[in-house]
Amino acid sequence: MYRYDEFDAEFVRQRVAQFRDQVARRVSGDLTEDEFKPLRLRNGVYLQLHAYMLRIAIPYGTLSSRQMRKLAHIARVYDRGYGHFTTRQNLQFNWPKLSDIPDILDELADVEMHAIQTSGNCIRNVTADHFAGAAADEVADPRPYAEIIRQWSSLHPEFSWLPRKFKVAVTAAEQDRAAIQVHDIGLHLKRLADGRLGFAVYVGGGQGRTPFLAKLIRDDLPEEDLLSYLEAILRVYNLHGRRDNIYKARIKILVHELGAEAFSAQVEDEWRRIRDGALKLPAEEIKRIDAYFAPPAFESKPAVAALRAPDRAFDRWVTRNTHAHKQPGHAVVTISLKPIGGIPGDASADQMDAIAGLAERYSFDEVRVTHEQNLVLPHVRLGDLWEVYGALENIGLAEANAGLVTDIIACPGLDYCALANARSIPIAQRISERLARRQDEIGDLKIKISGCINACGHHHVGHIGILGVEKRGEEHYQLLLGGSGAEDAALAGITGPGFGPEEIVGAVEKVVDTYLKLRAGPQEPFLAAYGRLGAAPFKEALYAAA
Amino acid sequence: MSKRTPSISVLTANRLDDGIVVFLGPAGAWVESIDAAVVARSPDEAKALEAQGARDAAANLVVEPYPAEVREAAGRLIPVRARERVRVEGPSILDDVPGYVAAAPRSSALPASGEREPAEAA
Repeated sequence: MYRYDEFDAEFVRQRVAQFRDQVARRVSGDLTEDEFKPLRLRNGVYLQLHAYMLRIAIPYGTLSSRQMRKLAHIARVYDRGYGHFTTRQNLQFNWPKLSDIPDILDELADVEMHAIQTSGNCIRNVTADHFAGAAADEVADPRPYAEIIRQWSSLHPEFSWLPRKFKVAVTAAEQDRAAIQVHDIGLHLKRLADGRLGFAVYVGGGQGRTPFLAKLIRDDLPEEDLLSYLEAILRVYNLHGRRDNIYKARIKILVHELGAEAFSAQVEDEWRRIRDGALKLPAEEIKRIDAYFAPPAFESKPAVAALRAPDRAFDRWVTRNTHAHKQPGHAVVTISLKPIGGIPGDASADQMDAIAGLAERYSFDEVRVTHEQNLVLPHVRLGDLWEVYGALENIGLAEANAGLVTDIIACPGLDYCALANARSIPIAQRISERLARRQDEIGDLKIKISGCINACGHHHVGHIGILGVEKRGEEHYQLLLGGSGAEDAALAGITGPGFGPEEIVGAVEKVVDTYLKLRAGPQEPFLAAYGRLGAAPFKEALYAAA
Repeated sequence: MSKRTPSISVLTANRLDDGIVVFLGPAGAWVESIDAAVVARSPDEAKALEAQGARDAAANLVVEPYPAEVREAAGRLIPVRARERVRVEGPSILDDVPGYVAAAPRSSALPASGEREPAEAA
């Protein structure tokens, strides 16, 4: 893992001290809320419906056991015993007191963490494939590049006041687990024609009020030019992005209005100017950062096959919740934070401590956070899977549902969020309970739920998406079908009139029943069946009897 | 003339130090229970509450005060919008939150900020 150098440690401590002073001045009345709000947002502090919320950055979703234990400690001492892992690979605490937050930030700094740039119109926490450094299907670990981007973008003076927030995601596998096509910039690390590492660069994707898939503007960016090219993109955006209308301020609107070709031409012009300047990445620097992410000292143990047959529940879990590792004799383990009827992404302090212990003992001290609101033990020996499974059972997190219909993404919604129009979490809970019995029969199916148009629950790219809206003061839900945030990225379409809170779960079940009835067979996943059949049979099932 | 029943409202905000939902109560104190809130039954009364809220925001007692429309049922005040009902009742899913520990109740209401207008009739 990356370790802070003196500069990192110093600037994070300075920032905590500055924020401590700002909080003191706010409480004493020296700062008004209008003056304080942009300062607190820069430090990840929101005021939500019921309390303040602190959003903590987990760079590219990678945590050490020590960091996870610190999060558990903060949950116990300063919050209400739990935390919420988000679709941005961050962690949110829902109940901190404003006056405690500087102390929380100091505690985070002790373990090389912070909440800087988790809000505001700046380059946000860089996200990455949660299986990075472990997955058999990646060309290289993308995290060194994510770390290089983190260092470049942290407190970048030119890009601290962008027209709007800016999100970068990195993957290094053909199977896109980082949803790069719905980010402001999506980077796909790959082998270029000459065999060297480089990037395909996607720009202008995003969800929210006006969703767009990103456009590929360069397919062969050499790795040494990564920062100069990103800088060129940000400069074009910073210059031309709209500041007069918040709803049209994201780069996706600029790319759409200019056209990808014209936008790309401007980026290329700027890039030519700065390409050979200070941002050229020396091979030694890439190597230096790369060394922080060196693979652990793997050793092989007997394979798990012999253990699987006698225990069907374990067998299901191995099938669903493990992924092929690049190192023989190992697996990537997904810890589902979606127990049946549970709250997507929530973990108690005790669960966090237990997972930290598992990471320490079985996964070379590493935990990952996924944008699908699960956790990952990236490097587990096959021979240790049985013990890991048993330990997860003990803390209620051994549900074998990764990628299944109960592995639902849901934003905090109206239960917490000041922007939300409708609750997301209870809808996810009821769908999970309703469909759990049939989840293996249904197979891969991603349901994503947002409580408002801002789409933190990724409803635009759900195979089944649900959008909460407000209708005459009451909660109401639109249903969308056919989206994907993976390599086959697609935006879902609205089925038709929305549904009340008592109807939406039944509507989802009708969609699932229609799929089961019409699919070519269990080998045809929902998205493939939807692509073949179109929306018509699903709409008929939803609305014909009405 | 409109046959719509005239709306009634309370003034709500978040407390500065911990962000907890509060309502403007009698004698200018900010209270956690909506049932203890002062009710504005006319536009003039609503304006008076909002003026008090603006003063208390300026005095750093509360953040972003605003009126919330309510109705009366069985002697209780019920917010009209779902959003405000969630603010009053808290997250609907707390029983399912793993490891949730309820906060200790605060012992007293946030005091009034100095001189007050006479309290509106509840």
